[in-house]
Amino acid sequence: MAERSQPSANYKSWPVMTALTIVSLPLLLMYVYLFLDTVTVKQPDALLPSGLTLDHWRFLWQTTPGKANIWQVTANTLLFAACTTCVVLIVSSMAGYVLSRLNVPARGFFLAGVMVLHAFPSVTLIIAIFIVLQMIGLYNSLIGVILVKAAIDLPLGIWLMKGFYDTVPWEIEMAGVVDGASRFRVWKSLVLPQVKPGIMALGLFSFLSGWGEFILPQVLAPGNQVQVLSVYLAGFLADDNNYDFNMFKSVGLFYLVPVLIAYALFNKYLMNIYGGGSKG
Amino acid sequence: MKSSRTLGLVMIAPAAIMIVLFFLMPVVLTAVFSMTNMTTATGISGGAYQIAPSSLNTLKSVMPDIAYEMAEPRYAIDEAGLKAVEGLGLAPGIAAELRAKHAGEVFPTRREAERMLKDLAERPSTREVKQISEQFNRSIVNTRFDSKGQLFSALDTLGLKLTPEQKETVARASYTGWTWTTDNFSRIATSPDMARVLFNTALYVALVLTLFNVGYALLLAIWTHYMPPRPASIFRGIWLLPRITPVVIYILLWKWLAWDSGFISVLMGKFGYPAKNYLLDTAYNAWFFVVLINGFIGASMGMLVFSSAMKAIPKSQFYASEVDGASRWQQIRYIILPQMRWPILFVTCYQTLSLLASFNEILLATNGGPGNTTEVWALAAYHTALRNYAGNLEYGLGAAMALVLVVIGVTLSLLYLRVFNYRTLVAKPLIED
Repeated sequence: MAERSQPSANYKSWPVMTALTIVSLPLLLMYVYLFLDTVTVKQPDALLPSGLTLDHWRFLWQTTPGKANIWQVTANTLLFAACTTCVVLIVSSMAGYVLSRLNVPARGFFLAGVMVLHAFPSVTLIIAIFIVLQMIGLYNSLIGVILVKAAIDLPLGIWLMKGFYDTVPWEIEMAGVVDGASRFRVWKSLVLPQVKPGIMALGLFSFLSGWGEFILPQVLAPGNQVQVLSVYLAGFLADDNNYDFNMFKSVGLFYLVPVLIAYALFNKYLMNIYGGGSKG
Repeated sequence: MKSSRTLGLVMIAPAAIMIVLFFLMPVVLTAVFSMTNMTTATGISGGAYQIAPSSLNTLKSVMPDIAYEMAEPRYAIDEAGLKAVEGLGLAPGIAAELRAKHAGEVFPTRREAERMLKDLAERPSTREVKQISEQFNRSIVNTRFDSKGQLFSALDTLGLKLTPEQKETVARASYTGWTWTTDNFSRIATSPDMARVLFNTALYVALVLTLFNVGYALLLAIWTHYMPPRPASIFRGIWLLPRITPVVIYILLWKWLAWDSGFISVLMGKFGYPAKNYLLDTAYNAWFFVVLINGFIGASMGMLVFSSAMKAIPKSQFYASEVDGASRWQQIRYIILPQMRWPILFVTCYQTLSLLASFNEILLATNGGPGNTTEVWALAAYHTALRNYAGNLEYGLGAAMALVLVVIGVTLSLLYLRVFNYRTLVAKPLIED
């Protein structure tokens, strides 16, 4: 009973709060230590840090031999996530409108199809696309990965945008059509502004999902020139020669900060979309 | 009016093209690949004909005599050999006589070839005979032929007498490219390893789904439902973290917790336990962490779906029940749970598909280990086709495994569409211009 100002005797909220705090501890611990360990020194057998240091952040100004440069990698990741987001937004805001409003042949079939596509395991796509990209020479290029990633996020995007268009009152369009605007103009200048929250939510979702994507770039574009942060970090983890957990964590935090900022600013939109769910 | 239909087609075209290119085409190709024996060894494009030791082994069971003959070198007096003999700087008569009398002859053994050489007019010495015969040593083994014809003519020039059927058998056994076959599916159906992987997958989906994606998510939703709004949203925020954290960092955090130099080890060390890798030391522990890692991600969706469903329950029901003296447990049991039926069904269906397809977390955390105990179907397909220690990537088999997953996923989702009454999702447009 969240809204009650005076909880009755058998509805105290502190027992639930305590219980939930206890089960949330492992998660909190992980994230708190992620921050702590990147700027402190800790003895191998100690639980608490014993001093401050910036040494773990040295990857920002020196490149480990054989590894890509962090700034190049960050630029790749940004480019990858931004392009994926653009493609997903443009394509699904159009397709969602068509499925919600316009009468095209096989519309129902298309909608059902989009639902079913969601069930396609990414591993299937990866194996076939890997072989195809090898054949047509887009292997180890970001363009190939962007297109594939955008396509994988597309069903969810179309579905979500359709849902948002469905909530827009028909009267708006009817008024536009009566005033003599073309259906395209009605969509562009009357309906699109109405679904801004949807575009915002989908854009955020798709950016975060592109930012965190690991398996596609790992398989389709592992080369140093086109590496993204997830592959870069995974490469560190797999490398047994210079094993430095605190440095991994610094790279990880560097990678996580944009996500946390976006999350802190826009969690309202994100709750909306993750409630509808995504793969994983 | 046709304009809206045309506009509709134009606006949906990009989505349709992308879906055809990146969903339908890969699936069709997966089906195609799954009917081949493509591996790294056969390559993706065509192949050549090469009688390798392995092909000889295959042939030995079918036609032992011929396979034995092929394995042994033969001595063919051909132009290349004659040129080489001329270059040896021996008496010029030798090469000339060989060319005149014996060109084109084939001797099945070295002894026979050398007997012929000793009978030449020039009478080469034993050492020279050895030298000369070496120039005519021809073997069909390990030579690459680009076409069937070349292979057959080579067989003929070496004097191997084969019937056309036998030639075809040799060609089949020695082809290095990929061929059409249905072996992949019979391998999947019969191999005990696959059965093990299937069992793992079922166990993984069942455990994560019941314990976390539905069970724990319901618990979280009910707990936060009974809290003031501010702490409730803070807790929801905390439990969404695993989902928005990029998977590589998320797994890094778990490794920091569970590795041999990790937090748990250090903590247990304070109580005198030796440090060990809690993530991979036993199959039981690996499973424990795999379920936890995926469950923490999966719980957030259910939590949000159930929370919003609980918000939709009219407050008056809660007030009324409290007036009647219901305990909190009774509220949950008689008010909340009965109204959660559809959300629970939806989350179960949706997450079953997600879990079947998910393998990133397991790949990064345990990579299917220790041994093969945490290898699930999607991960096994990935390993088979794209990344394995043996180095020979079996595209065909991996594609067949992936195809099995597609069939399961599509079947389930069509079933769900029926359950959730798909008709209600597709309402007719109101403007019929």
